[in-house]
Amino acid sequence: MIKMFVESFKNLFNKPDTIKYPFEPSPEPKGRFRGTIHYNEELCIFCDKCENICPPGAIKFEIVDIENNKREYNYNPYLCIYCGACVDECPKADEGCLIQSDERISPLGRELPKDKKLGYLINRVSNPKEFEKAWDELEIRAKKSRDEYAKFKKQQRLSKQKNKSTLKNT
Amino acid sequence: MTGGNKIIVPFGSQHIALPEPVSFLFTTENEIIKDVEVDVGYVHRGIEKAAITKFEFTNVAYLLTRVCGFCSITHASGYHHGIEKLLNVEVPKRAEYIRMLVVELDRIHSHILANGHVAEVVGYENLFMQSVRYREKVMEILELVTGNRIQYDIYKIGGVRKDLTPEIVEEVKQKLNQLKNEMLKIYDFYDKDYTFGLKTKGISYVSYDMAKEYNAVGPIARASGVDTDTRKEFPYLPYDEIGFEVQTMSEGDVWARNMVRQKEVLHSIDLCLRIVDNLPEGDIATKVKGRPKGEVFVRVEAPRGECFYYIKGNGSKVLERVRIRVPTYSNIPLLKELFIGERYSDAQAIVLSFDPCMSCTAR
Repeated sequence: MIKMFVESFKNLFNKPDTIKYPFEPSPEPKGRFRGTIHYNEELCIFCDKCENICPPGAIKFEIVDIENNKREYNYNPYLCIYCGACVDECPKADEGCLIQSDERISPLGRELPKDKKLGYLINRVSNPKEFEKAWDELEIRAKKSRDEYAKFKKQQRLSKQKNKSTLKNT
Repeated sequence: MTGGNKIIVPFGSQHIALPEPVSFLFTTENEIIKDVEVDVGYVHRGIEKAAITKFEFTNVAYLLTRVCGFCSITHASGYHHGIEKLLNVEVPKRAEYIRMLVVELDRIHSHILANGHVAEVVGYENLFMQSVRYREKVMEILELVTGNRIQYDIYKIGGVRKDLTPEIVEEVKQKLNQLKNEMLKIYDFYDKDYTFGLKTKGISYVSYDMAKEYNAVGPIARASGVDTDTRKEFPYLPYDEIGFEVQTMSEGDVWARNMVRQKEVLHSIDLCLRIVDNLPEGDIATKVKGRPKGEVFVRVEAPRGECFYYIKGNGSKVLERVRIRVPTYSNIPLLKELFIGERYSDAQAIVLSFDPCMSCTAR
């Protein structure tokens, strides 16, 4: 017990190991910190691998133009668990299509972060209170667009077959 | 239950001395506990069901690692070793060593905190503070190696996700050596301190036979002299290559459990130093193809004891069954037995000497 008293007494004069958190900023993460996912649309080949692997479903591709198969990348940093599985899976990750940066995203407060790298939806919504609702709507929309696209493709295939058979007949 | 001079005292689900929510109902008679009821299902989240419905076998690991904060690497290792057996994957040696390093580091920080909590509830606050201060170094090493302090996510099917660079190895070595000195200092406090001994020595004695009969696992069994450790019995990682030894004691009380943990911390630091010294060269991951079919079981050593995993796949993307049995669950019957006849004021020290992990148990 006396030894511990000595130790405690020494600690009185040592520099504290803690920081005065609300008055001082918390220390920056260093090295390999797994932060926000950044996306580069120009390099993307739209293979949807990141969407399929994402455990909480924080990446969603919405097909906006069914005829040309144009897809939009949407990312929800408040749903993301920052595991980095999408980056591991991305075939173009080495070129910088999908990167896990060491930046932290600010908590969902008065403002939403605006950056082209964070996908489309977060840049379109201005009120942070509506973001969650907008994401729910997007999930439904994305699923619907996928079904529609599958239907469109099936029709295309059928019409092609029909054309072929008519060509053969003639 | 009431009547006479019996009093029912609820302890938990939320209690200031409990790190995690477990609920006890003590029936006491003049401070002496006569009967106890335990409920472990307070934080049930349905993770086993989610693992076989909503997630594919490639990303179910990210769900399972989030079962618990302390044992995140245990659940990752349990799942990955199982699924690799099903897929017949040979993991590179370097990956296995990196896995072993993170598993041991996780054990160190878990044990330090568990011991600190025991010190706190017996009224030795400054030992707790000192422990947590030294624990910070392990957390820094883990952040350096894996990129995160709690959810490491370093495992991946067929290897690991991040490699160790020479600079990181150097820093890890330096910090581990510092930590070893500090832990030796703390070891002395736990070992020789008179006031700490008063509250812990001779409390809740578990004999060798009792530990065997109640099927105790982990530090609790080892403190009673039962020579059981999954790292030796079920070689899921190459522990025999780095000279692993089982740490046991024979006293079987709260103090012995603490000392076993403290010894394991020192041994794990040695193991970590040996791992970074003898890191083999080569790849860190292999490519994996195919889908899991068949059933497999894995036993891994969590900080709290033996963790059991059962995985069944049917050749599709979604698994058919994932069953987890965690060490705390198998220690609960013994814990219940131990309370009877002890004083209520010792109850907190007994619970915390078992180091219960409730978010694992309830899932």
